[in-house]
Order: sequence, then structure tokens, then C-alpha cells
Amino acid sequence: MTQRAAPELLLGILPIALILALWQALTSFDMAPPALLPPPMAVFRRLVEQLGNPIFLQHTFTTLLRLFAGFAIACLVGVTLGLMASSSRVAESAIRPIVRVLAPVPKIALYPAFILILGFDHASKIALVAADALFPILLATYQGAVSVEPKLVWSALAAGTTRRKALLTVVLRAALPSVLTGCRIGLVISCIVVFLAEMISSTDGLGHLLVYASRSFETVDMYVPLITISLLGLSLNAGFNALRRRLLAGYPEAE
Amino acid sequence: MRRWSAIPGLPPLLACAGLLVLWELAARGAHIDGLPPAHQALKQVPAILLDRESLFHIADSVRRMLIGFALALAFAIPVGLAMGRSGKVAAFFNPLLMVIYPVPKAALMPIIMLWLGVGDASKTLVIFLGVSLPLIYHSYQGARAVEEKMLWSASAMGMNGLQRMMRIVFPASLPEIFVGLRTGLVLALITMVTSEMIARQAGVGNILFNSLDMALYDRVYAMIVIIGILGFVLDVAFERIRAWFVAWADSQHQIAVGTS
Amino acid sequence: MIAIERISKTFETRRGASHLALGEISLDVADGEFVSILGPSGCGKSTLLYIVGGFVPPSTGVVALDGKPVTGPGPDRGPVFQEFALFPWKTVLGNVMYGLLERGTPKVEAEAKARALIGLVHLEGYEGFYPKELSGGMKQRVAIARTLAYGPSILLMDEPFGALDAHTRTGMQNELLEIWERDRKTVLFVTHSVEEAVFLSDRVVVLTRSPGRIKETIRIDLPRPRRRKELLVDNRYQRLVVEIEALMDTPAQRR
Repeated sequence: MTQRAAPELLLGILPIALILALWQALTSFDMAPPALLPPPMAVFRRLVEQLGNPIFLQHTFTTLLRLFAGFAIACLVGVTLGLMASSSRVAESAIRPIVRVLAPVPKIALYPAFILILGFDHASKIALVAADALFPILLATYQGAVSVEPKLVWSALAAGTTRRKALLTVVLRAALPSVLTGCRIGLVISCIVVFLAEMISSTDGLGHLLVYASRSFETVDMYVPLITISLLGLSLNAGFNALRRRLLAGYPEAE
Repeated sequence: MRRWSAIPGLPPLLACAGLLVLWELAARGAHIDGLPPAHQALKQVPAILLDRESLFHIADSVRRMLIGFALALAFAIPVGLAMGRSGKVAAFFNPLLMVIYPVPKAALMPIIMLWLGVGDASKTLVIFLGVSLPLIYHSYQGARAVEEKMLWSASAMGMNGLQRMMRIVFPASLPEIFVGLRTGLVLALITMVTSEMIARQAGVGNILFNSLDMALYDRVYAMIVIIGILGFVLDVAFERIRAWFVAWADSQHQIAVGTS
Repeated sequence: MIAIERISKTFETRRGASHLALGEISLDVADGEFVSILGPSGCGKSTLLYIVGGFVPPSTGVVALDGKPVTGPGPDRGPVFQEFALFPWKTVLGNVMYGLLERGTPKVEAEAKARALIGLVHLEGYEGFYPKELSGGMKQRVAIARTLAYGPSILLMDEPFGALDAHTRTGMQNELLEIWERDRKTVLFVTHSVEEAVFLSDRVVVLTRSPGRIKETIRIDLPRPRRRKELLVDNRYQRLVVEIEALMDTPAQRR
């Protein structure tokens, strides 16, 4: 396995290395002015420096707070509505058309409305994150729940489980692979959206740091928050995948 | 229940009406300056659409969006298909794509604007970047799932590699590619609005925040409605096209989701 | 006693037309009787079983158990499905314990009972395995143990050995007979294999092709306990198989 994986890994690192090399070459041969494109080492040094800077960490923390608050709301509402739509005809005929209308609407367009209603502080950002992460979670839950083998539910009902309880202990449980996939997508979306919201209108958070740096033409400082949020997204994604594998120990779907 | 919900288009219409009523009631009940009643905002919709300048902005935004989308299409589908049929190509691109995946594409706007200026090029490039990823991913999944035996038969008929790609792999992957296109189209719209909100130069996103700054709240909401309709119409139109192209594949009512 | 009275089932097709899957069926099954329902695929024989189980409501007619009409699933009727329908997130032990815990049996007692049942179906040593790690035959043994665990007086078996290879299948038939001969539960057994039905049953009910109606009921008065080796060379067994196969108007060859 390692024998086969090693050259593949090398092949995969190649394009990333090429991009970094090109970046380095552009700056060291003076083909790009540092005001437009700072050398990669300068960006890296600044990143390491900032990660030890309490003010920068405070901004990061603010971003994370908004991210997780919005994501948690999206999970709660999305899973609940998805399950309801899958289990009741009435709920389905109400939820389905609304989702059909709202899912393809760019949620970011609602941001001004959120600002107007909820103010410029945390709440509007959290609402936007929740609105954006909601639909993939809701749809994944619904699709997962309706494709649960009905005989699995029947087996539980025959053993004396009530329908209401079976919805949580059997349907949701059996749909977990799909639900968690939806949540993982929602998590990465949350990460991206919180940053964009902070860029558009905020006085703190990582996104604000980027905009602030661009206004004062501190090019290096523009890259640092962008890389930080990307790394956050990457590690949250990886962490969630690890959690998913643990939760899905018995499922055939989990690799 | 089955009778009315079986009429195509009726449930979404009812959903729209329901949402509007809800909005109207909330606005009347809450009495917030920032939440005008629905009817007041809706009155502004024709005003915006009849205003030459804002119409020009909207058309401009849509044009950029479509160009970015078309460029992504031309680039991402071949890449995705090649990845799906060759382990080496997939191994080459996969880690890079994984790294790019969580980067907020629209957030590149200030940086790209430094390089390319505030014009069309920056915005189109950002849209291109935003759309490419899901397109590559779905083309990749589609090509990977093409049955090996189908390709054996094609080779036996004397097709070479390129012919197999064009005449077998591409059509066989179409259903999955269309899923990617649909996500991509919604994503293009999102990236367009977001990048304009960040750049604050021109376009739909700019109208939104300018109206917000000028406290023209009815106009803000009217603009939101317009963007919402744009998103919904694009999605419905695309679903039609998809259904027509891949009528042979099982029609799954999957709803596109995505964000930049 | 199971009293099936004038049961029929109509399905609505997607285009809105209605399709009669099951004609009017009336059938009485005595306590401790092993009855097989035999018919070509698509004759609605499984549907009949689901109606008795209370999983699917009939379009017309009633099913009564000891005079009480069936309104839903209950632990007095234990299903065993062709698809096994084991809970993928539970181990073998967890699956078998499920019904016991649902009934409020204390954990220690439930575990002891479950372990004994796992022994009964010859799966000692596999208690900690997940269903996906087991072969088809083993999965079906777990499913049988899970159903036996909550002590239903009626077993509803829906082509339970249909997904197994021929060798495993005969082995499972022998094991089922052994278990049945011990506690003589009422069994309603759906199959499309004539040999299986004759080998196991007291009575075989042959259904017609769609819509399924009762074509003939045949009493199988072969002596018990039945041993495969003796039965296969028994004239009466062979004659019954040939007779019933003729009744089934041999759909296999025609298709």
C-alpha cells in the first residue's frame, strides 16, 4: 500500500510545489512588485508571527464563535426539518416547496436584510452562516431519511419501539452517513461564509482583517487571514471526517 | 393533498405566497425600520427594473457571470473527465483541489483587484474560480463511474483514446456533469453577488449595499427579491435543460446547493 | 390464531392508476402451525405478510389475532426479512439485545438472554462483530435471534433464505426446523421455492399470479421431525413437490 501511495503522493505535491516555486520566482526575479505580490517566505513569516499575536487570535476567536454558532443552528434546524419532511406527508408538502424556492437563492443577498433586522454585530453574521449551511444539511438529512430501508424501521416497530422513538433511534441513525456528509459540507460552507460576511461588513474577525489590510495596502497582511481561514476550513473538514469515521464504525458506507 | 401538489409549479408558487405573507405579517407586527412590509418592497421591484442605470448594472453582472461560467465549463469538464479516467491525473490534481476547496473564492477579490484592476477581468476570474471546483468534482465522479466494459466494447470497435473520451466517457458522465453544472450555476450567481459586495464598484451587489448605505430600505429588499428570483429562475431553467439532455438517466429531484 | 379475512391490497402507481396487487384472501392459521405461502414473484405474497405484520394497511378486509384486529406492528409478531434488516450500527450482541431492552428487560438479564440465543443460532464468538463483517447466512441467523429474543408467538418470515446460496440455504432450513420443533411457534413463511415450502410446512398455500389469490391449499402430512436425508428419498415428498410445481404453472420456464 505504501509502495503504491508514495509516488501518487509525490505526484500530488508536484502542482502545489510548482505554484509555490512560480510565486517565489516571480518575486525573486522582480517580475512582480512586492506591493502586489509579496514573497512567499514573507507571508509565511508573518503568518507564524500573527499566530502568536493575541489580537490576531482574538479576531480568529470571534470568527470561530460566529462560525460554530451559525453551524450549530443550521444542524439543529436542518436535521429537524429534514426528518420531519421525511416522516410526515403534511410536513413534506409544506417544507418541500419552500426549500425548492429558497435553496437556489443566493443567501448572501439576504445579508443586508439580516444586518437591518439583527444589527451589525454577531447576530447578522450568525444568521447568514446558518442560512447558508442549512440547506445542504436539510437536504442530506431528508434524502438520507427517505432512503432508509423501511424494513429496518419495521424491525424496530415489531420489537415494540414507538414510531416517534424509531424516527430518532432508527431513521436518523440509519441516515447518519448522509446526515454527516451534509453537515461536513455545511461546515466548510460556514467557514467560507463567515469570512465573506466579515469582509463585507464587520469591525472584527478574520475577514475584517483582510479588508483592513487591503485598505492600508499592507499586502502581506491580506494573505495571512485568507490562509488562516483556509487552514481552519481544511482542518475542520479533516476533523469532521475523522469524527464521521468513528461514528460510522458499523456502516457499510463508511470506508 | 396529492391532487394539488401534483400540479407542476403550484407548490413553489404557494410557498412564495406563504413566505410573502409571513414577511408582511412579521413586518407589521415587529415595526422595525429595517423591515418594511412586503408590499412596500415589492413596489420597488418594477422601479428598479425600469430604471436604465440599475438595469444596466444587473445585465452587466449577469454577463460577467455567464462568461465566468462558460470559461469554467471549458476548463473544468476536460480536467474532471481526465481525472476520472486516469489515476495519475487524479493523483496530480486531487491534493491541490483539496487545498483550494476551503478557500473562500470571493475573498480573493481584493488581491486579484490589485493585479487586474477593478474591471470585468477580476470579477470574471473570481467567478471562474468559484464555479470550476464543483464542475471538476462532478465531472470526475461521472467519468470515474463509467463502466469499464463499455470502454472495452469501444476499444473493440476500434476507437482510440480521444474518441472513447468524446463518444463514450463524456456522454456517459453527462448526468453527473449536469449536477455539477447546476451547482456551478447557482455558485456563479453567489460568487457574482459576493464579489460585487466586496469590491463595491458596480453590479447587483453594489446596488444592494449602496441602497443600504443610503437607507433606502425598500430598495434593499426589492433587490434581494430580484436576486432571489434570478437564482430561482436560473435553477428552474437549468433543470429543464438538464432534463432534456439526460432524459435517459433517472431523474432525481436533487436541489443544487453551494456557496463560494 | 391468525384469521385473515377478505384481505386485498391496491397500490396506486405513479401515474395515478391503481393496481390490484392482492385479490381477496381469507386464510386461518392455527396456533403452532407452520404455513408457507407460495407463489410466483409479484403475486403479492410478501405484501400479505406485511399486512399481517401491521407494517402495511390492507385496502379492504381485516386480520385478527385471537379475535383482536391488527392495527399496527407489535412484539407478538416477529418479522424476519430476506434483506436481514439488521441495525448496521449495532454489533451482533446489540442487535439481539435490542428488543429485550425495548421491553425494559434489565441490561444484565438481556445480555445473558441474548448470548444464549446467539448460541442457539451457532454464532458464539461473533458477539462483537458488526453485521457488515458477517456472511449472508450469519446475518440471517442474527436476524432470527433478534426476533426470537423478544418472544413473539408468531414468526413472519419473508423469503428469509432467498438471498442465500443453495448450500447455506439448506443448512438454514434444517436449523429453522430444529428451532421450530422445539417451541412450536406459529410461522407464516413466504417463499417461491416449492421444495422449501414442502420440506418445512404443515400447510402450503399457493397463490395465483398478480393479483394474488389463493389457488389451492395443500396439507403436507409428512411425519415430523423431518430429516432432509430421509425426506429426499421419500415418495410422498417427491409427489407433493411435483404436484405443487404443476400448480404453480411453472413460471420459471416460461419467462
